[in-house]
Amino acid sequence: MKRLALIAGLLVLMVAGLAQAKTTVEFWHAMSGSRLKVLEKIVSDFNAAHPDVEVRAVFTGTYEETLTRFIAGYRTGTAPHLVQVYEVGTQTMIDSGAIIPVYQIPGMLGETWDWAQYVRPIVLYYSVDGNLWPYPFSSSTFMLYYNKDHLRQAGLDPNKPPTTWAEVEEYGEKLIQAGVVSNVLSFGWPDCIFEQELALHNYLYADNENGRADLSTQVTWPDAFSVKLFETWTRLSQKGIFLYGGPEYDANAAFTAGKISMLLQSTSSLDGILKTAQGKFEVGTSFLPRFADEPSGNSVIGGSSLWVRKGQSEAELRAVWEFLKYLSQTDVAIYWHKGTGYFPTTNAALKQLMDEGWFVESPNHLTAFLQILSGRQDTAAALGARLGPFPEIRDYIRTAIEKACAGTLAPEAALAEAAAKANRALQEYRSLIK
Amino acid sequence: MEARFPGYRLLPYALILPSIAVIIVFLVVPFAMAVQQSFYRTSPFGTTTLFVGFDNYAQLFSAPEYVQSLLTTLAFAALVIGGGLSVSLAIAILVTRKIRGVGFYQVAFIWTYALSPAVAGIIWALLFDPSVGLGTYLIQQLTGYRVNMRVSGTPALLIASAAAVWNMLGYNICFYIAGLQNVPKEFEEAARVDGASPWRTFWRITFPMLSPTTAFLLFTNTIYAFFQVFGLIDILTQGGPGGATEILVYKLYRDGFIRLRVNYAAAQSVLLFLMVAAMALFQLRVTTRRAEYSR
Repeated sequence: MKRLALIAGLLVLMVAGLAQAKTTVEFWHAMSGSRLKVLEKIVSDFNAAHPDVEVRAVFTGTYEETLTRFIAGYRTGTAPHLVQVYEVGTQTMIDSGAIIPVYQIPGMLGETWDWAQYVRPIVLYYSVDGNLWPYPFSSSTFMLYYNKDHLRQAGLDPNKPPTTWAEVEEYGEKLIQAGVVSNVLSFGWPDCIFEQELALHNYLYADNENGRADLSTQVTWPDAFSVKLFETWTRLSQKGIFLYGGPEYDANAAFTAGKISMLLQSTSSLDGILKTAQGKFEVGTSFLPRFADEPSGNSVIGGSSLWVRKGQSEAELRAVWEFLKYLSQTDVAIYWHKGTGYFPTTNAALKQLMDEGWFVESPNHLTAFLQILSGRQDTAAALGARLGPFPEIRDYIRTAIEKACAGTLAPEAALAEAAAKANRALQEYRSLIK
Repeated sequence: MEARFPGYRLLPYALILPSIAVIIVFLVVPFAMAVQQSFYRTSPFGTTTLFVGFDNYAQLFSAPEYVQSLLTTLAFAALVIGGGLSVSLAIAILVTRKIRGVGFYQVAFIWTYALSPAVAGIIWALLFDPSVGLGTYLIQQLTGYRVNMRVSGTPALLIASAAAVWNMLGYNICFYIAGLQNVPKEFEEAARVDGASPWRTFWRITFPMLSPTTAFLLFTNTIYAFFQVFGLIDILTQGGPGGATEILVYKLYRDGFIRLRVNYAAAQSVLLFLMVAAMALFQLRVTTRRAEYSR
């Protein structure tokens, strides 16, 4: 009896000791809405499966706010171990000196890791000299969402969504004339749609190979293509076809309420939109509209990735790495994809999704894949830009779109105004980093 | 000071020390740091810092959008202060009349102050959503004009001002009701006996007697229009469209925290401080001299 009690006591002490040895990983992210629940489930499953590690996922606001908080945290020594940064923050993070490139982590821990298992366009987007810097996680791109019921009501074929901007205009006029809607099209992340369109037609956004060969010194616009793009949007806006719907996800409400028929939005909104539209109307998805007479490029990887902060103990780094590896597990990657619409990042997950018939069951989940895997991946223009002051430049482009669509400035003048500010930002950034 | 505390030379200084310490730690030191920061340019993560002298200030004065932001702020403040004070005074007069259920009306008008600017922002953003907003719909039905505050600058500024006025209404009405109850009834009765019209009675008796309240509200509403509306703007318009609602404090935030130009924002905060300090001094001088206190 006595001995049993002793063993029990020792066990209690050991468990208590283990509990104390638990490594905490602080993880800051910007996943709100339907994405938040999916992420929290993944984190709690991980914690349950790893009693020695506790990942604390903290929602720190929008992508912009999360990056700002990480910077402030880094400067005051309170930064998390792991942070989710949106794609435009990539160059800032690369130049920050505040992170460990993920490709170095397995080596630091005496492991090896196959980095080729990730979906190619994502790896290309986030690599410097062929090595991955952030961990690919919440990758997305943009696509066209449309209301099939609206197309039917206007006497259009619901399985023939517009392919070109000319068709968007033609369909838009028909939808308005038929009295189906009073506005037809809106954008989420308007600044990002501008980037997508440039890449989709294989045009550079900034010099020095989109900032991928060397830090950019200036943006390429306004040029003939970007002016044409702006003029098209302004004309569609004047005709009432294009309804400027504000930044980020503001325009989703208009689409799911059936007030507009088409939406260009991130693939990460897919599950949110499908759930809200369920029982109300049939959602179709397709590639982003393009210009028929322009060269071909590709849609750009967007969304965000995970960055590992420099200056962690080996135990912490090991815990972070366990969590990252967990995210790449096929079942986890699939759960993430199905719940949000973000790409599953590994090829194994992609294969399993195909094998189990997921893409037949939900073809809308395949659209973005076909779009990005069918486009070209061999030019810097098609891969998309990587700029230090990208968050700032996006802000200027958004203002330019607003001014052009409101008619406050002519399309070219609006672009030129934004370009002057963007170039100033690029030069200031160079002067600080070089 | 010694005269008030005979025999204790250091006691008065010891007594004010805690307040002074708080002011130094939370106001003076950060302000001094902002001044220092405004002469540098730092990379986002603070790895490189360059001394640039007055370059941040020079950029500010040569940037048309800073002047635009200043004008926007003045227009916004004029709408919020002028509109807010006159509307709330009118409502306060109505709800201090002897009518049935006056308590209900008073509460109905005052409760908006219980909402944080962020909540007010969400309500107004929904009301004037370009495609699903009730306000947008009503205006279109009444006038045929389709308001889109995400594209058109002037409607956006007006909507933001209206939301700001609405949010502050309860606060202003509260003070005006209190002020009105302190106006001695004898003066108004005497004026009425002398045959003055209600209009004349208001402007000659009530309004001047309310001047301490008005002076106080002018001061608090200025602070509100310059700083506290931040949350409302952030939720409602994010400074857009095309910078049409980018008031100084919001521009400062965007430059510092979104565009990651900390030093440029520091220069703006120094200028904003000087502007508001000058205005506060001016208001205090003029209004305290002009205001008639009943005591």
